[in-house]
Amino acid sequence: MTDETKGLVLAGVGGQGVILAGMIVADAMVRAGHDIKQSEVHGMAQRGGSVFSHIRWGPGVDSPLVPRASAEVLAAFEWAEAIRWVDYVREGGAVVVDLRTIVPPGACDDRRNWTTAYPGIDPELFLDRQLKTRLIDASSTASELGNIRAANSVILGTVAAFCGIDDSHWEAAIESLVPRGTEEINLAAFRAGREVADAQAPAATPSPEGFAGPHQIDINHSWCKDCDICSRVCPEYCLAIDNNGKLGIVDSDACTGCRLCELLCPDFAISIRPPMAEAVTTNG
Amino acid sequence: MAEAQLVQGNEACALGAVAAGCNFYGGYPITPSSGIAEQMVRFLPGADGVFVQMEDEIASLAAVIGASLAGSKAMTATSGPGFSLMQEHIGYAVMAEVPCVIVNVMRGGPSTGMPTSPSQGDMMQARWGTHGDHSAIVLAPSSVGEVYELTVRAFNLAERFRTPVIVVYDEIVGHTRESVVLPDALEITDRVRAEGDPEEFRPKAITPNGVPPQAAFGDGYRFHVTGLAHDERGFPTEDSQVAGALLTRLHSKVDDHEDEIVDVETFMIDDADLAIFAYGIVGRSAREAVMEARASGIKAGLIRPRTVWPFPAEHIARAAEQVDTIIVAEMNLGQMIGEVERAAQGQAEIVGHLRADGEPMTPAHLLALITNVEADRKQP
Amino acid sequence: MTDIKTYLREWAMPHVLCPGCAHGIVLRSFLEAVDQLQLEQDKVAMVAGIGCSSRLAGYADFCTLHGTHGRAPAFATGLKLARPELDVVVVTGDGDGLAIGGNHLIHAARRNIDITVMLLNNSIYGMTGGQAAPTTPQGAVASTTPSGNTEASFDACALLQGAGASFVARVLAANPIEMTKVMADAITHPGFSFIEVVSDCPEYFGRYNKAGGGAEMLVSLTSRDVAVAGPLAAKRFVNHVPSSEPPPGMDTGVLQREVRPIFSGIRGGDTDES
Repeated sequence: MTDETKGLVLAGVGGQGVILAGMIVADAMVRAGHDIKQSEVHGMAQRGGSVFSHIRWGPGVDSPLVPRASAEVLAAFEWAEAIRWVDYVREGGAVVVDLRTIVPPGACDDRRNWTTAYPGIDPELFLDRQLKTRLIDASSTASELGNIRAANSVILGTVAAFCGIDDSHWEAAIESLVPRGTEEINLAAFRAGREVADAQAPAATPSPEGFAGPHQIDINHSWCKDCDICSRVCPEYCLAIDNNGKLGIVDSDACTGCRLCELLCPDFAISIRPPMAEAVTTNG
Repeated sequence: MAEAQLVQGNEACALGAVAAGCNFYGGYPITPSSGIAEQMVRFLPGADGVFVQMEDEIASLAAVIGASLAGSKAMTATSGPGFSLMQEHIGYAVMAEVPCVIVNVMRGGPSTGMPTSPSQGDMMQARWGTHGDHSAIVLAPSSVGEVYELTVRAFNLAERFRTPVIVVYDEIVGHTRESVVLPDALEITDRVRAEGDPEEFRPKAITPNGVPPQAAFGDGYRFHVTGLAHDERGFPTEDSQVAGALLTRLHSKVDDHEDEIVDVETFMIDDADLAIFAYGIVGRSAREAVMEARASGIKAGLIRPRTVWPFPAEHIARAAEQVDTIIVAEMNLGQMIGEVERAAQGQAEIVGHLRADGEPMTPAHLLALITNVEADRKQP
Repeated sequence: MTDIKTYLREWAMPHVLCPGCAHGIVLRSFLEAVDQLQLEQDKVAMVAGIGCSSRLAGYADFCTLHGTHGRAPAFATGLKLARPELDVVVVTGDGDGLAIGGNHLIHAARRNIDITVMLLNNSIYGMTGGQAAPTTPQGAVASTTPSGNTEASFDACALLQGAGASFVARVLAANPIEMTKVMADAITHPGFSFIEVVSDCPEYFGRYNKAGGGAEMLVSLTSRDVAVAGPLAAKRFVNHVPSSEPPPGMDTGVLQREVRPIFSGIRGGDTDES
């Protein structure tokens, strides 16, 4: 292993095209003259399980596995996967996250454990790490182009900005590996993703439309009966009943947007709004 | 002109209902009303209607109310014990202002009583059976032809006044077969439908005639229906002024329009010295008795209300000024007689002929009675 | 996602239910299910009986019918038969649905009319002040069982399974996400669907049985499923068993699902009578 060896982690859930994307990355790297090693884990696709692929490239690569805190780029096809794998990115590296959320059955349907542990989208997580973050909506972009299955090519377009090889290698790899007849749409998807990378590049903070800052907790005190359920279920202790028996927000910055308080408020008195929800509306 | 046909009373009821536009029937078997259900299940599928046999009479009227709220013209039919069970939802239909028709083929009571014997024992239950203050519209046909005619009228009145309407007749009328000519052309009334902006819709709006326009569920108007005292939005209230105004309106929308509702047949009353007050099947015997009395020189007359509620007090008061004596003949131990006494205000002597033994009142019976009363009248 | 308040009669809020009563959570989960399914708001009819749970219908911005005690399934039957295109949902309680209205409920299930019944079980009569219900566990205190209830209680889901309901499920009011999912399944199920929602009554059941307030009761629900735990472990969900035996498990989730002919009344094409 030499210092020139770089790593990429692709992570998503079954059915998103993670494995194909990994093959395209590897093919593009070979076309660019690199030695590459690739490893992947899959097999839980039917259950929405996690699927990931590690790729390492450079003049001479020995091991296929990307060590922690070393990856140049993490391409997360799904929000929770971004959180799962973000530790693998080196300081100053890049995280490309599709804002899609796919809640695996185990997280919301496990009736024995009342699991609602799906994390809220919280870009703060990456801000702290000095990462170059690109938040994209690949599914919508691909849908607009005519085929949601090209979402992985959108993600690759954004990823390409951080891999240091010429776009022509990427496009050649895509043309050779995607299913016959979908070459054009996948190339268009790739270019759309590439534009996202550039458009978001100047941003000092990861703030694409609608996703910046903590969630906002709104309490409608005229409906609230101060029953204390919300404060008892909040995992982040954002809410509390004060000495006068009235509900208040004690830590507004800690809200991760899990919405437990909102869903368990019998009086419809709590609303959780995503960060900069207004921006979403105006841009929507 | 239609042909004469042989029709049974309960069948005439079903024919009348369908002619009036009834397209929903929910009921539960009970003697002697079951024949109505057995006819409705034959007629409705061909008339774009639906028939359902429910688990009891409470459910039957609930289903009828549900169907009416969905825009159907709906009815049920029952007899004494089942009528008792329906009282809960008669009150609901009054309060929520749901048009529907309830037919009660009366049999001997109380309780299970005499299932196959005629009776007129439910007259007060038809008026006051459900709890709370309310007005009532109750029709009492006395023949097969009239069952047809008044069933149609019951639907029309229900639609006009947005309220439940009850038809009462006894086991004899229900099971009698008569040759009748059913009319070709009928006047049909439909409920006034809501129009305009759904956001502005007030299901219990106060309108000049006291009857708010009605929307059906599924028509694009979203509103609340409740048996609790409620405001113009139909939403529960405990405001005494709002609740009081609602109760007053529910009364006045019927009571202020008695002239549209009350229907009394009088026969040979103008010069009469004495009159028989009788309704339903007894009215038919009474008519024959009056004719026979006249033939024997007694100036008898007949007052036969075809609508028993609202009570035709003005007709009674006018008759009381004319005659010396009013004989009230009814197949119970005294129900409408109290109303007659109240309406007569002492202007005529009131004599009751009351029996509740399951036996009909024959013309001969009533003629003997008239003869006795006439003898008493001439012997002050 | 639509703002859930789109389906709420905001002008009627706040609702009448007590602080900590989980019934409001159930309404919210139902509205979320309506939103997920993108049901046409004008074509949803909510039919209720009498009691705390039945009051929910008044706050939902659909066609809402607040009927009489226990009779909601019968009202709903007439409504559905007359307007089959409506999505008809009954909201009822354990007293409303299992005591005074038990007959209507089992017959609606037997007929397999295409409606959904949500029965909110709080183990007590709340609206009338905490009297024992057919679901009050043996031993539990109510205003009419001051020394502890001696009667056996109904298992609502077992009852409905026995009555032939083609969809039977039980969910916990503390689990809004599963509740919404099961409600959506029930609404789309072809035929009669029944959901027992295990809810709470902090004001009466909680106070009489020292089970805590709404927060405590709700949280205790989450820790109990197959294994009954929490402050009510010895008292709650004891169905049809002598009190000396350990409490049986309380299964949640979809317990019965089958497809059989839907009842649509006797209407045109159904009879060969002329």
